[in-house]
Amino acid sequence: MSTSESDSRLPGDVMDEMEDHAPGDEPPEEGSHWVRNANYGLGFSILLTVSAFLLAGSNIIYEPAIPVALIVLAIAQMGVHLVFFLHITTGPDNTNNVLALAFGVLVVFVVVIGSVWIMSHLHENMSPMEQLMEMQP
Amino acid sequence: MSFRGLPASLEAIRRVREDPHRLGHRAHAPGEPIEGAGHGTTGPASKRILVGYGFWIFLLSDIVIFSCFFAAFAVQKHATAGGPTMSDLVEIDRLAWQTAALLLSSYMCMLGFAATQVRNRLWTQVFLAITGLLGLAFLLLEIQEFVDLAERGFTPQRSGMLTAFFGLVGLHGLHVAVGGLWLATMMAQVQVKGFRREIVHRLICFNLFWHALDIVWIGIFTIVYLIPSRP
Amino acid sequence: MFGKLDWSAIPLSQPLPLITSFVLILIVIGLLILITVKKWWPYLWHEWITSVDHKRIGVMYCLLGVLMLIRGFADAIMMRTQQAAAINAAGYLTPEHYNQIFTAHGTIMILFGAMPLVLGFMNYLVPLQLGVRDVAFPTFNSVGFWLTASGALLVNVSLFIGEFARTGWLPYPPLSETAYTPGVGVDYYLWAVQISGIGTLITGINIVTTILKMRCPGMSYLRMPVFCWTALASCLLIVATFPILTAALAMLTLDRYVDWNYFTNTAGGNPMMFVNLVWAWGHPEVYILVLPAFGIFSEIFSTFSGKPLFGYRSMVAATLFICIVSMLVWLHHFFTMGAGAAVNTFFGISSSIIAVGTGVKIYNWIFTMYGGRVRFEVPMLWSLGFIFTFIIGGLTGVLLAVPPADFLTHNSMFLVAHFHNVIVGGVVFAVFAGLEYWFPKVFGFELHRAWGKAAFWFAFVGFWVTFAPLYVLGLLGMTRRLQHINIPEWGPWLYVSVAGVGILILGVISQVMQLVVSIRDRHKLRDVTGDPWDGRSLEWATPSPPPFFNFAVMPNVEGEEAYWGIKLRAVETQQLAPEPRYEPIEMPLHSGVGFFTAFFTSVFGFAMVWHIWWLASLALVLAIAGFVVFAWRDKHEFEVPVEEVARVDRARRLAREAALARLSEQGALP
Repeated sequence: MSTSESDSRLPGDVMDEMEDHAPGDEPPEEGSHWVRNANYGLGFSILLTVSAFLLAGSNIIYEPAIPVALIVLAIAQMGVHLVFFLHITTGPDNTNNVLALAFGVLVVFVVVIGSVWIMSHLHENMSPMEQLMEMQP
Repeated sequence: MSFRGLPASLEAIRRVREDPHRLGHRAHAPGEPIEGAGHGTTGPASKRILVGYGFWIFLLSDIVIFSCFFAAFAVQKHATAGGPTMSDLVEIDRLAWQTAALLLSSYMCMLGFAATQVRNRLWTQVFLAITGLLGLAFLLLEIQEFVDLAERGFTPQRSGMLTAFFGLVGLHGLHVAVGGLWLATMMAQVQVKGFRREIVHRLICFNLFWHALDIVWIGIFTIVYLIPSRP
Repeated sequence: MFGKLDWSAIPLSQPLPLITSFVLILIVIGLLILITVKKWWPYLWHEWITSVDHKRIGVMYCLLGVLMLIRGFADAIMMRTQQAAAINAAGYLTPEHYNQIFTAHGTIMILFGAMPLVLGFMNYLVPLQLGVRDVAFPTFNSVGFWLTASGALLVNVSLFIGEFARTGWLPYPPLSETAYTPGVGVDYYLWAVQISGIGTLITGINIVTTILKMRCPGMSYLRMPVFCWTALASCLLIVATFPILTAALAMLTLDRYVDWNYFTNTAGGNPMMFVNLVWAWGHPEVYILVLPAFGIFSEIFSTFSGKPLFGYRSMVAATLFICIVSMLVWLHHFFTMGAGAAVNTFFGISSSIIAVGTGVKIYNWIFTMYGGRVRFEVPMLWSLGFIFTFIIGGLTGVLLAVPPADFLTHNSMFLVAHFHNVIVGGVVFAVFAGLEYWFPKVFGFELHRAWGKAAFWFAFVGFWVTFAPLYVLGLLGMTRRLQHINIPEWGPWLYVSVAGVGILILGVISQVMQLVVSIRDRHKLRDVTGDPWDGRSLEWATPSPPPFFNFAVMPNVEGEEAYWGIKLRAVETQQLAPEPRYEPIEMPLHSGVGFFTAFFTSVFGFAMVWHIWWLASLALVLAIAGFVVFAWRDKHEFEVPVEEVARVDRARRLAREAALARLSEQGALP
């Protein structure tokens, strides 16, 4: 049926360098590679998390900037998790994973920001709050 | 029924051969293999890849559910209906303990996976057990928080804000609980069946799940607790 | 002990549901008796109910979809006739009953009719077109199908135990909250849709993984058939947006069951948030339905024009464009909810822009036909009918996308006409085109042509006679979902619409006749070679029906239109490629986990509807336990011996060689 036949890859733990990798997954190497990742991940996470908690309870920076800073720290923490625990890299074997993640992030962004934008605008054509309160029986 | 299969194609060959205006064809020369991973030209991926990637896609769908609950919280954050506000709810101490427990459990989960990669059954079970215990600690703290709030009359039935709060935090807690049950099942399977292929695949999935829960928790403790804690 | 369930749940005072339920139960019991008497249970259990073969599951999905389409159509007949009969009169349906009918009509048609059909097509075709043996997670596939069936079962049970929702197919709060709907109708809806939603999500994950990670060697992304690209886009949308529906319905469920305040009118709830979330799902949902429909048409246009699809790359780009932009338009379903000019403008513009993607596709289909040799077989008739119908439907959509125009036409019959125009013209026509096109492949014999053409013409004419008047009625000011009409000027249009329904009924009858006649004559209509239409993609390389392992040896693809190249080479060299080296094949074992999980999930759903807590808990535990038991099995694959593989494939080669020989005898070869 075809000039050069080939068949499915036999299932097993044999992994090719040319193959894709799922997140958090790689050819079995010595455990030290994983432990190193875990340690780096834990270290950075502790740093960022403690900073977030300290920042929330203090007045170190300009007041209105604190929520923004906290969000930046949260994004950084998520990045640490993705890179060190879930092993999302920029290599060609990870392209599908990065694309899927980007798609997911887009959806989250659209849903959250979109909903907040729409719902907050529903007050647009309503009377201001004070007038409404005055109209209460 | 007359046979009307190939004749049309012969017509096509006689009159058209290829698309005469070259409208539908690609510039690649036929027979030129496209190199590099990710293009799928080497045939179907191994089961390990399929399982991992499929679970990754599932996790993204789970994250979308969480984002809806986040959106609901963002919309109803100030709908307190005369009841308590977020700053009345937040207790930084307990939050810190919860965060530490979950973060450490993620770390232990990683170490457990390292042990799995070198096929060390004892250490896999040890680290999985520690992961589970830390997750349990997280859950107990959360249950304690909910009970405390209920005793003060701060229930989800009280206001839209409390509904959204309990919904989001509760959904995460539910995921942790389900994860814990899954963990117990995995430990039993590792014990009985060892490191068979499917068991390793499921451990990969569990790892993804547990780390994703920690990622969601980062969003929760920042957006639901830390930011609204400032009056 | 039985929660809210008691004998008053049976609609003894309502003749229509009572008689319908009675007849349906008789039919079901009759079927069960027939199967038992003929001893078909072992065959059905082994080969269908516990099958994890994507082809079997695809057929079952399509069967479920067709059955539910019929039920949805029955609801539609009742609605049109009620409106025609109720002009300054009472009609024959009470408002309470009528409200359930239009709710059930929408829910069933979209979620249990169109969705299963589309999922069925994707399940059957994607592995075959990619040259592989099954989807990525075959057993999960079975679970997904049975959960969808479970949801459909719950909806149908509501017909004779209790009632269905009366809120419209999207249960807007506060009407759907306990305060205003204390009955079980909305609960039936919630559990049925949630359960089948899990099934749909499973298929979405399965197909995405299959397409991205499981293609035969040489099939790069840009060598995939366009149907696979549309399946990918549709399933990406499923994975991205079905969770939104899950979340919104879960929130409503919490409001109803434990008095939470997500969407209540008081205590800080926000009913409009439901509308927002549910349409953030709802709009992508219609693209989930229509994208695979576009894919089906792409296959049909190129095959029956005898040419490659025009503009393959722009088709792919348009598909991905539609996929992304469809997530940015959802507010156009509630322009009138009052988000103000800025928000409405943004979504109005995005809704207009999304038409560009579809426009590109339509031009490509037309240019595919240009310069080709068009064969007016039945699938092509449906496709041509689609082009005409969908363009008009799309245009009315762009009209509705303009917020000021929408303020006048929102929730009028104009809107009803528009969405039926695009869904029937797009999805339903595609389903029938696809059924006609792939039926020989699936069942091994062709369908009777004349009845097929009759079915098409009745459907096409019937559709326009039914729905064109609704456009006029909308512009005359008639709103949707009216049980009672008190403006006599609307009468003539409503009567024309009912006449159209009559024509559609003739179409349904013709379709059934086609099936009956084709089955009766199946030996004469047998598809001997596996390629009755001169196809261009890999599913036509297999025998009809394909063996359970699809391909004896996975093809090695060297260009676009994988099968076309193979066929040309065979014709030019006047022989098939040399016999490949056969190897044993590992295939997944069948499994009852899908059926058992869905069985207990149905019980769970029913128990939750009626507040029978002990039964719900028990059923949930058993459903999960079933899963764990399944996960404990040691053997999950079996090996097909090489002799079996060789035997099946040699039979296929024989048939193809015979076809080639016949051609050279006719002097047709160059």
